Amino acid sequence: MSFLKRFPPPAEGVRHQQPDTEAVLAGRGLGAGTLYIAESRLSWLDNSGLGFSLDYPTISLHAVSRDLNAYPWEHLYVMVNAKFEDDAKEAPMAEGEEEEDDSDDDIEPIAEFRFVPSDKSALEAMFSAMCECQALHPDPEDEDSDNDYEGEEYDVEAHELGQGDIPSFYTYEEGLSHLTAEGQATLERLEGMLAQSVSSQYNMAGVRTEDSVREFEDGMEVDIAPAVAGQFEDAEVDH
Amino acid sequence: MEVSHSIKERTIAENSLVILLQGLHGQVTTVDLRDESTATGRITNVDAFMNVRLAEVTFTDRQGTVSHLDELFVTGRNVRYVHIPDEVDIRATIERQLQAIHRVRFFRGRDKGRKEFPRAKHK
Repeated sequence: MSFLKRFPPPAEGVRHQQPDTEAVLAGRGLGAGTLYIAESRLSWLDNSGLGFSLDYPTISLHAVSRDLNAYPWEHLYVMVNAKFEDDAKEAPMAEGEEEEDDSDDDIEPIAEFRFVPSDKSALEAMFSAMCECQALHPDPEDEDSDNDYEGEEYDVEAHELGQGDIPSFYTYEEGLSHLTAEGQATLERLEGMLAQSVSSQYNMAGVRTEDSVREFEDGMEVDIAPAVAGQFEDAEVDH
Repeated sequence: MEVSHSIKERTIAENSLVILLQGLHGQVTTVDLRDESTATGRITNVDAFMNVRLAEVTFTDRQGTVSHLDELFVTGRNVRYVHIPDEVDIRATIERQLQAIHRVRFFRGRDKGRKEFPRAKHK
């Protein structure tokens, strides 16, 4: 396999490492080795230190295949948008047979890799690690979606109400970074409740500060769904 | 419906139809890929970059060979079409997703909402 090179295994950002994994390209086994799922690239090295790397932007898709009718071993399937030299393909040419695969390839080249771990139970983790790493490499050529947002972050609602200056100054931001562990826990709890809450007729009486949280910790059932925007406007933030 | 923890991803979703796809979590859907293969399965995640994660997938490659995949992740770049199931109410789905985003954003009430990015640059 002429595309195999010698290089050190990735040291940083390795989300998952799977030893004893065979790599297969277009049906040809490359031997046993270790698969490294790193944030920068996907690498595989055989036990002699030869291997290859794949860049995430070139990976079209990946999948867990347990369909033994399609392929006799459970594996991680990776489809790559690139051509990899395969020594085996040169033989058919010698017989006078044209490489038909290429004739309709005004479209893009595709290489199919399969990574077959000896430990089948690792496939889930391998798949998830790859999903996470792929998400770190969004398509830079994506011109359709205008994902550039300029300026600093600002309070959306205040702006919509015509009240905000852009940029605006809020003690909220400072307050947030000064939250105590208790305050942080309160914040997270309220966020969780708010995400689940249905519009309710009950209003919280009084101000929701850290002190009032403690008051209710004696087991009393209180309907604390905050239904009114601005409810916590006067909540103490700086502690 | 879980909303992304990333401010940037929420903003992107809110300003594009990816938000509709995110509302399809749990639905069995067919995704046509750029290379003419298709994948039919249950949507388990769609992120702001339109990367789609499917479970229990029937995959038909561009030659027509059918196989079954436990899980499939397709990069947004390689998605050509997503077939929205007929029974999905598109408008209601979008509204529900927007509400979920707004609940997260306006948690602190007026003047204390989470920071979000201003409007996208106009080219």
